[in-house]
Amino acid sequence: MAADEEIVRVRNVHKYFTRGSERVDVLQDLSLNVPEGEFLALMGPSGSGKTTLLNLIAGLDVPSEGEIWVGNDRISAMSESQLATWRTRNVGFIFQFYHLLPVLTAYENVELPLLLLPLSSADRKQRVMTALELVELSSRLHHRPGQLSGGQQQRVGIARAIVTDPTLIVADEPTGDLDSRSADEILKLLATLQHELQKTIIMVTHDPKAAERASRTLHLEKGRLVVDTRAPQLK
Amino acid sequence: MLARISRFDLSRIPQYPVLYGLLAALLALVLILLFVGRVPVSYNVRNLVVRWWITTMMVLAFVLVVGLMTVMLAFVSGMDALTGNSGQPGNIIVFSSGANDEGFSNLALSDVSNLERTQGIAVDEAGQRLASKEVYVIVNQDIPVPKGSPSRRRFVQVRGLEDAPMSAKVHGLELLPGSQWFSEAGVEQTSDGQQVLLQCVMGKGIAGELGLDRPGRQPLAVGEVFRMADREWKVVGLLNSTGSTYDSEVWAKRQIVGERFGKEASYSSFVMRASDIKQAPQLAETLKKSKEVALNAMTEESYFESLSDTSRTLLLAIRIVAGFMALGGIFGVMNTMFAAISQRIKDIGVLRVLGYSRTDVLLSFLMESMILALVGGLLGCLLGSLCDGWTAKSTVGGQGATKTVVLQFLVSQEVLAGGLLLSLLMGLVGGLFPAVRAMWMRILETLR
Amino acid sequence: MFQFFTLMLKNLRRNILRTSLTALCSMLLVLVVTGVWSVLDFIDRQTEEKANDFKVLVTEKNKAPSRLPRAYVSSLREGAARGPDDVKPEDYMTWAFYGGTLDPNKMTRENFLFLIACEPEKAPTMMDELDQLNAADTARLQDAIAKMKKQANAVIIGPEQLKLMNKKVGERFTVNGLIFKDLNLEFEIVDTFPDAAQRYGQTSLMNLDYLLQGIDEYEAKTKKKIANGADPIAFVMLKVKNKEDYEKLSAQIVNSPLYNSPAVRCESAGSAVSTFLESWQTIFWGMRWLLAPAILGTLSLVIAVAISISVRERRKEIAVMKVLGFTPGHVLTMVLGEALLIGLISGLLSAGGTYLLVNKVLGGIPFPIAWFQRFFIPTNALWWGVAIGAGTSVLGSFLPAWNARGVRVADVFSKVA
Repeated sequence: MAADEEIVRVRNVHKYFTRGSERVDVLQDLSLNVPEGEFLALMGPSGSGKTTLLNLIAGLDVPSEGEIWVGNDRISAMSESQLATWRTRNVGFIFQFYHLLPVLTAYENVELPLLLLPLSSADRKQRVMTALELVELSSRLHHRPGQLSGGQQQRVGIARAIVTDPTLIVADEPTGDLDSRSADEILKLLATLQHELQKTIIMVTHDPKAAERASRTLHLEKGRLVVDTRAPQLK
Repeated sequence: MLARISRFDLSRIPQYPVLYGLLAALLALVLILLFVGRVPVSYNVRNLVVRWWITTMMVLAFVLVVGLMTVMLAFVSGMDALTGNSGQPGNIIVFSSGANDEGFSNLALSDVSNLERTQGIAVDEAGQRLASKEVYVIVNQDIPVPKGSPSRRRFVQVRGLEDAPMSAKVHGLELLPGSQWFSEAGVEQTSDGQQVLLQCVMGKGIAGELGLDRPGRQPLAVGEVFRMADREWKVVGLLNSTGSTYDSEVWAKRQIVGERFGKEASYSSFVMRASDIKQAPQLAETLKKSKEVALNAMTEESYFESLSDTSRTLLLAIRIVAGFMALGGIFGVMNTMFAAISQRIKDIGVLRVLGYSRTDVLLSFLMESMILALVGGLLGCLLGSLCDGWTAKSTVGGQGATKTVVLQFLVSQEVLAGGLLLSLLMGLVGGLFPAVRAMWMRILETLR
Repeated sequence: MFQFFTLMLKNLRRNILRTSLTALCSMLLVLVVTGVWSVLDFIDRQTEEKANDFKVLVTEKNKAPSRLPRAYVSSLREGAARGPDDVKPEDYMTWAFYGGTLDPNKMTRENFLFLIACEPEKAPTMMDELDQLNAADTARLQDAIAKMKKQANAVIIGPEQLKLMNKKVGERFTVNGLIFKDLNLEFEIVDTFPDAAQRYGQTSLMNLDYLLQGIDEYEAKTKKKIANGADPIAFVMLKVKNKEDYEKLSAQIVNSPLYNSPAVRCESAGSAVSTFLESWQTIFWGMRWLLAPAILGTLSLVIAVAISISVRERRKEIAVMKVLGFTPGHVLTMVLGEALLIGLISGLLSAGGTYLLVNKVLGGIPFPIAWFQRFFIPTNALWWGVAIGAGTSVLGSFLPAWNARGVRVADVFSKVA
């Protein structure tokens, strides 16, 4: 795929919930393209629909109307189990609260998504080690999440997100639970993923400093895109 | 312990299709959970270890339920083994008409003479007919009590025989080393010539029971004398009768037993071995329909089978109790698993986000309760197995007839299979509802 | 205090599922223990020696089943008293057993009938529990007995037995004798035992005279001796005031020259029952010392698990309570109280439910051991239920409650979720 080819295409997406007889529109007629290798930040006040949009793109939810394509897959038409398989191969997730399984070691947490792929254990080991080296945690393989700092836990989270070599990395407030120094390290790491590994990253954040790292920032309000800003160096 | 079942006997599986079928299905389920589920088992094991305190208590509850069940079932299986081992293949037991048991049967002496001439009785190597003429009485024996305590007695089953060695052969029994049969007269004098002792041979079970009255409580041995029904009796031999109802009997000369206990003019039963073992049921039927004498005849195996009412009653009671206890255990497992799931909602969400299917989540949590059940069940079986070989006094009986017996707890492979089955069922049912709940959780809600 | 109680209630209501599962488990296990203890309690009462109203059985000394000649009966009724200083029994009842099949061609259990041949007028005073019937039932029983006195072949048959035989009061039938072989007797059912006399559901009473007369007539007609016809009596039951009288009476009878062949034995009813139950002792022992404790243990563990989980989940909350000024004692009381509340309520409900279910719906626990057919839940069981519920819940919740008491505020808040 060419570098500027669009990897994510969101077409006229509506998302609403019904609460009793009332319909709550979260996203309204939203369209969006994300080219491959872009680091996109989604910003907006609470309730603007940014996390909903992220969940739709990541295949955790389906739109009420409209289409979503990721690569050649029309994920808005997939069944739940198709989506699960698709996610394993195509999406890496980074959460605000890391969401590591507390009883598994750093190594095992990173290995977890690989268990769903037809890989030999040697292959798995190699991939896990590479991912952990990339986030500079190869010395903490056998530590449990409880034995790691917040920043380290988030780095394990990132290693888990990239270990399957996904098409797309989505991050929901990845620095929201971290002090500024750790946050900075994590953002640097994400930028590295974009620059050196040409990963496409979509990040929800309300921190303008975090958004500065992105190559483009989209602002949402009441379920609609309102501003589209490109980072200065790319303009 | 457990020496008797050190090897699993596959050939017994067809006899208990439901038990082994269910057990195989549940064990297969455990294997499926192990190999089909994609969430690593270490995840479940570590979670069990993390809440080790709750896990331990739950495992203990399994151990108690399964251990208790094993002991109770071992008692019943000991009882069944006893009645099952007492009958000899090919033996036919004859009572007077209308009597289903030795206690009520009165066969006239002349009837028995006729019976001895029945066609189809097997003969031994010496050309003797394999037949036994017997009287059977229950004797009250006073148990010595301290002065002022209420009087106590026990029932002793006494069998009087015409030709004891032949009777033993018919019943498949032998004397233990150091023993001999009673003399032709059935009595002997004490060395000082002061007293006449009645000679008898007995099973080890009753020898142990009668020995309880003595200060050291050691079993009666050959050569020792005891008092029963106002007479002194001397043990001249012990029978290798462990595991059969004969183990609880005292055998003596028929004339002596008959005269002392009001059976001088009749026999209780006539037992004979059919020359063709397979023809025994037909032969019994022919005797029963005989026009000359009114008799009741049956194969010895079916007679002892008719004594299994007690064991059936107990088995039913045990099953009911087991059912209730298992239900209680299931509620305990459910509590544990529901709590485990509500504590790990985020884990479930993450697994689902990473691409694990709903089925993977279901299998993983089911696995966890099955691990609990398997560990608890195995430990329970192990603990319960300690009772193997214990001896206990009991009753076996059927319609109107009962025998007091000394039985041995038997932890058979079916007993263990039953215990394990119960625990796996508890794990499955107790774990299923929580696991289904975990399976249907919505990803976005779990991560909120 | 009341607020504390509402707090406990609220805590229990918070996880209704867990509270209900724990309560259901308690109820089921209390049910089993209540059943087991009911059987044991009944057996214990049968074998205990009564201080007053001593019932004495005179049986054949050396053999079972006991057979006594009828010649023994008249003097035994007097307790073999000869002199004015001898003890005379206050009451007596003679027992013989007659049994046979209703259909000689179909010897099934349903067709088998077993009757107690006795002086029917002695039943109300000499048979257990028949003296405790209410006025209406007593009158009815007396009425039936009066009919039996008038009509030799009249019988009273227990309601369950009647159902088994598929017969009604007023019907006539013939029994083909098995205990006294070939002695076939015809009977007419005049009444059944009142429902309140629960343990007599399968008991049947006939006139002793009818049996003895039947034996005589058969022997006269056929010129043949009937098997067991010479000693048809099983035992004579006597009643004396107290233990002292029992011992005197016993010596009188055992030493009497009247009873040599066969010799007789005198023992309290409790002793006699014990002898018959001797071979069941292992089972009773197992019920008492293995089954019941194991169930109580399981119940304690299940409660312990439930309370542990709830304490584990509420560590933060407990820490907050401590910050607010609750003492460790308060926390301990709260957790123990919650467990106790579940235990008490489910114990009481279960015992009450078991009582109603077993006694009113099922008509007893059908557990035929020895000659007892069914067991009933005594009223005491309501207290057992409460005690079991309370005991196991305190036992099970003590450690978790102790843990909760020891929750350290600093530990809880220093940890990041």
